[in-house]
Amino acid sequence: MFKKLLVANRGEIAIRIMRSAQELGIRTVAIYEETDKTASHIMRADEAICIGTGPRKDYLDIDRIIHAAQSTRAEAIHPGYGFLAENPQFSKQCTEAGLVFIGPPPQVIIDMGSKVIARRIMEEAGLPSIPGTSVLEHGEQGEGAAAAFAEKHRFPIMVKAVAGGGGRGIRVAQNMEELRRFIAIGRSEAKMAFGNDQVYLEKGLTNPRHVEVQILADMHGQVVHLGTRNCSIQRRHQKMIEMAPAFLPDDLSNRICETAVRAARASNYLNAGTVEFLIDQDDNFYFLEVNTRIQVEHTVTEVITGIDIVREQIRVAAGEPLSIEQKDITFRGTAIELRITAEDPKNNFMPDPGVIELYQSPGGHGTRLDGAVYQGYEIPRYYDSMLSKLTVYGFTWNEAVDRLRRTLDSFLIAGVKTTIPYYKQIVNDPDFINRNFDTSYIETHPHLLDYQEELPPIDKLAKLVAEINAYGYNPYSGR
Amino acid sequence: MSERNRVTPQMSSLEILDFLRRTPGVFLTNNERDVSQSDFRCRIMPQTTLKVAPYRDSTGFFGFEIIGGATVHLDLMNKQINPFEKLRLVRKAMPNTLIQAVCRGRNLFGYRPYPDNVINLTVELFSKYVDIWRLYDFLNHVPNLVTTAEAVKRTGKLLMPNICFSTGYGHTDDYYVGKAEEIVSILGEDIILGIKNHSALGSPARIAGLVRAIRKRFPDLLIAYHGHNTDGNDLGRMFAAAQEGVKIVEVSDHGFGGIYSQAPALSFIQNLHDDGIPTPGIKIQPLLDTSDTLRRERRYYEKFTSPFRGFDPTVKRHKLPGGALSLALEQAEKAGLLERAHEVFSELIEVRKELGNFWLVTPGSQILWSTALSNVLHGRYEKPSDDLKRLLLGRYGPFPFYDPREWIFEKVLESGRSDGKKWHEILAEEAGVLELPDDDLKSRRLQLERHLKRSVTDEELCMYVQFPIDSIEFFRFADRFGQAWLLPPDVWFREGGFPDGTRIAFPDEKGRTHHIDMVSTRHSGDSVHTSLLVDYHFQTYTTKVPKKKGA
Repeated sequence: MFKKLLVANRGEIAIRIMRSAQELGIRTVAIYEETDKTASHIMRADEAICIGTGPRKDYLDIDRIIHAAQSTRAEAIHPGYGFLAENPQFSKQCTEAGLVFIGPPPQVIIDMGSKVIARRIMEEAGLPSIPGTSVLEHGEQGEGAAAAFAEKHRFPIMVKAVAGGGGRGIRVAQNMEELRRFIAIGRSEAKMAFGNDQVYLEKGLTNPRHVEVQILADMHGQVVHLGTRNCSIQRRHQKMIEMAPAFLPDDLSNRICETAVRAARASNYLNAGTVEFLIDQDDNFYFLEVNTRIQVEHTVTEVITGIDIVREQIRVAAGEPLSIEQKDITFRGTAIELRITAEDPKNNFMPDPGVIELYQSPGGHGTRLDGAVYQGYEIPRYYDSMLSKLTVYGFTWNEAVDRLRRTLDSFLIAGVKTTIPYYKQIVNDPDFINRNFDTSYIETHPHLLDYQEELPPIDKLAKLVAEINAYGYNPYSGR
Repeated sequence: MSERNRVTPQMSSLEILDFLRRTPGVFLTNNERDVSQSDFRCRIMPQTTLKVAPYRDSTGFFGFEIIGGATVHLDLMNKQINPFEKLRLVRKAMPNTLIQAVCRGRNLFGYRPYPDNVINLTVELFSKYVDIWRLYDFLNHVPNLVTTAEAVKRTGKLLMPNICFSTGYGHTDDYYVGKAEEIVSILGEDIILGIKNHSALGSPARIAGLVRAIRKRFPDLLIAYHGHNTDGNDLGRMFAAAQEGVKIVEVSDHGFGGIYSQAPALSFIQNLHDDGIPTPGIKIQPLLDTSDTLRRERRYYEKFTSPFRGFDPTVKRHKLPGGALSLALEQAEKAGLLERAHEVFSELIEVRKELGNFWLVTPGSQILWSTALSNVLHGRYEKPSDDLKRLLLGRYGPFPFYDPREWIFEKVLESGRSDGKKWHEILAEEAGVLELPDDDLKSRRLQLERHLKRSVTDEELCMYVQFPIDSIEFFRFADRFGQAWLLPPDVWFREGGFPDGTRIAFPDEKGRTHHIDMVSTRHSGDSVHTSLLVDYHFQTYTTKVPKKKGA
């Protein structure tokens, strides 16, 4: 086993990885940019190293990160999610530098990172795919292929960037005019975002459910699945609430999980990954993509299986076999995870950086927090706005929802706007309570944004006491 | 009825009246509202009221007056509590005792007449909590009570129209019996007739005679006596009234009142029991427990007591009621006129005689006091207020006994007129009670919603139409600071900053204890940074404090 591991990430996922590493007796190294020097992941690591002035560019600088690992004598690098996690070059350079990259080999990242190649591999392995095109040619030839595809499969049609992911680079066209326009816009956006302007088309499904399967694969040929997750509650293709299991009929659930294992084998998968599917309203499922990294929402799977996925990732990367076989894996209860972000839902979810004046986290049975902030922390405006992931467990769905409601009520964050009040609305929404949701949930429930934000009553009174103290008398007492 | 010898809010008004008629003895109403107004400048805080509420509730009072008069306005201004919220809290804490409100007839809880729809809205909303409406008019002009009284009848609550009592020219028993006849002829006998002796006037014999005269004319009419102990002699009057058959007498707690407000309940009960008059439902132990607690609370309110301590037998001359007296002295003190207060009191006696010898009770007491003050400062009737002009124009109703002299009409009504009209022309063209058109409550609601940038409740609208400026200030305060009434009185009335390490602990409405600990205070320019541990989380608040003049 490694003695020291560098976490090439920040925020909650960096801390999450460090926790498992430390439990394995591995010392951890944090990296940070100058603009991120007050981040709490730095304080949680055994060592920390500044890799540049930032913002953002140094967390994406492969050479600097590898140099940081070498200078601290780390043997392995865990990329977390985002930043360089799905960059095959990073995986490749780590290996070349004699460092163990905790994730799949470069070729798997390359294959699965290309939506078109991934689809071809999966089709060859017999996985059901959403009808789609290959990469669209530029010019008339591409337009012709798009028109023919639209003629055959009808609208809506999704325009997707080949190098896209995480919901980025996707547009849904409802007619030919939009299709032509979105192909052009999609190309230029993809070029800017990913350095690759290739796009392809997929048939759009109406209000599908988004279901994914967690898989783990070791170097000894073992591939297991850890069951399903439902990630349907999304805003503009960004997941907001995830849960495990996906509450599919047993037969469908088994078929999807077996298909995911087949997909992993077909792609020579190694380490942890997620196979994503869309399920239409007739329970037909289609392969969507494979994410070659730890997912934000992995916590819900950990909660209902009891398996530490990051621990397994590290063990697998160290060449050890998975600690569990498929027959050992059981699923118990329900887990729901919310992404608590510093965003203002009422203002189009605009990030709201600032100082966290008050931070009181919930606790108690069935409550898990993966956070990275503290009271007094100034959220930098350069990074993502995630404050904490709240995962709750319930023996039943209803128990989990009740617990979620209770924990949200006792989760107090002041100083910045957060998504907590919006989630409080959701957990009281009859459609959510009855699990009546799909990917259109956020759009079709705009009334959930109609809430009042208030400081806790005791904090309002404390503010008044501070004024009485400052004035030396109560300016509101008619003195 | 939960207990046989007491009334409860669950009974209908007719059941209550029947119970009073059938039950021998004297019932007691605790008037904390008047104690607060007369002896502590309206400053008794809800925390104190709620602290003793369980004792008071089990004492077995007929009623508990906690709202009305100046209290509604001053609750908003000085205590930052919504009067409706206060009533809700009291109702919850005293579920077995009738809640009483004193109301200025058409003037409701303000200083000028309100349109009918404002009166109806107010009575309807307050009646969610108020069980007894004690109504009066400062000119004893009974038509001024009718709209409010009818609104009260519609709610099914107890109606207690009052006769304001005074002495001197015109104030005969015949006059007051005539007023009682006027009230009964309009409102019937299913009422409680109140005698409102706000200025502590008359001897025990005088009050006994008055009660006897009214009872002779209306033997079955229930009568209540509201007196003040300003001259130290109200126990005598209360006892005389009780002996003559008054059914309800207002009292205070010995731990609190007894100077300009009502005389203490316990002394009165001892007098009654010695004379064999029962006090149905009254229990002594909770009465003692109340005052034991109030005695400890009293220190928070000492600074609001009158600058002139002790009883004031000169009230027989100036006739200012308890509440008006302490507020008038506060006003004089703020204006730096405390040294000249005797001049103002002398002038007040003159002014009262000149202006018709009516009753010094709101808004009449304010009109007369401010006229006296103005006369001392600026010369007699040289700077008449608009309210004085309205009085002379008969806006509040006719003078009860005689009109002021012509020279006063001339000085007051012609003052500030640009049209050159003479006072008799003005009287001919403008005098009389005005018919007020209904308020446009829909647009008033929209106005308030625009001010507050949120939707508003009917109760908020009700406050807004009566006190537009002060209620907006209050609503903004409440939106910002929440339930400020939770803070203990020593915090609310704090003088000086809090030393580091000070702990402020108090329960919330649900009984959960909260802590605010002072960590540090740092001054930086015109800002003060206060760091606190608030329920064990750390908070720093920055307050900009305007620099003191001359600093």
